[in-house]
Amino acid sequence: MSELLTTPIFWLSITVAVFAVADMISRRSRRHPLCHPVLLSTPVLIGCLLVTHTSYPHYARATEMLGFLLGPAVVGLAVPIWAQRGVIRRLGYPIALALGCGAVTAIVSAVGILWLFGAPSAMLASMAPRATTTPVAMAMATQLGGVPALAAVIVLFAGVVGAMTATPLFNAMGIRDYRARGFAIGVSAHGFGAARAFQVDGTAGAFAGLGMALNAVTTATLLSAVALLL
Amino acid sequence: MIAAIGLLLLCQLAGEIIHRLSGAPLPGSVIGMVLLVGWLALVRRPRPMLDALTSWLTAHLSIMFVPAAVGLIEQGPALSRYGVGLAVAAAVSTLLTMAVTAVVFAWAVKRSPRHPEVEA
Repeated sequence: MSELLTTPIFWLSITVAVFAVADMISRRSRRHPLCHPVLLSTPVLIGCLLVTHTSYPHYARATEMLGFLLGPAVVGLAVPIWAQRGVIRRLGYPIALALGCGAVTAIVSAVGILWLFGAPSAMLASMAPRATTTPVAMAMATQLGGVPALAAVIVLFAGVVGAMTATPLFNAMGIRDYRARGFAIGVSAHGFGAARAFQVDGTAGAFAGLGMALNAVTTATLLSAVALLL
Repeated sequence: MIAAIGLLLLCQLAGEIIHRLSGAPLPGSVIGMVLLVGWLALVRRPRPMLDALTSWLTAHLSIMFVPAAVGLIEQGPALSRYGVGLAVAAAVSTLLTMAVTAVVFAWAVKRSPRHPEVEA
């Protein structure tokens, strides 16, 4: 019976079941950022591993197929970019300028502040892609010598912060253009931001999705260039 | 549906090949994304299956990185030592990036020669 613990089906079904419950709670909370299913399910699953004395590498192997889907999902971000080509052509100048400034601000401020705390380089590498969507951040952190798990949690945390602060921040700054608001939240707070923007305004949501997809490419390209130079 | 799955996988495969051959740190999946944009521009036709497949993948992105997030179990010492720094850096950077991006976007729209003020 105990050898069941070593088969992929065991940990795969536990993971999906825990996530399904977390997702139900998240829906009940009307998708409040603090009730994100990943935030709710991760501690529970870590508890399961500790209770059963299962090593993380073993769990990771068993649940490998979930992570495999991240690759095709990232490739699929091409579809919203292509669908929005009219908007990109019409607003090419603001989009390119805001994207460039946003991507550089995100990398420099995140890495700079963490560096002030004296963090080692593996941690800085996990922080650098923090504004990209989680799968890109994980892949990029790996390429830079960082820790994918750390990158994933940093990105989630940044997403929660962005989703909860965007509306009061933009109101305080007097920015009323929903295209600017949506694009900014997508560039800075990726999928979380896009989900929040869609709740507020359809235009903001579309621009947030575009900002997320474009910044995934931009930040990854910038970091690759920096890595090649260093 | 199979053709759409094949297209995504082939783009990623081509991206991984370019990633390995060039030695560039850009992840294969990101190169694959760029290749797919190029393919959609080259072969233009409606692709309802690809749209449905990518929407489905995007909608269920969260569960795919749960196994990676559970990897935090191995990061206990790092988190207890630098947890505050990580939280401060991520939070400040998120707010700053939103502010800078929104201000630049709004400023550039006003300065744009084509007057795209009216949302189409």
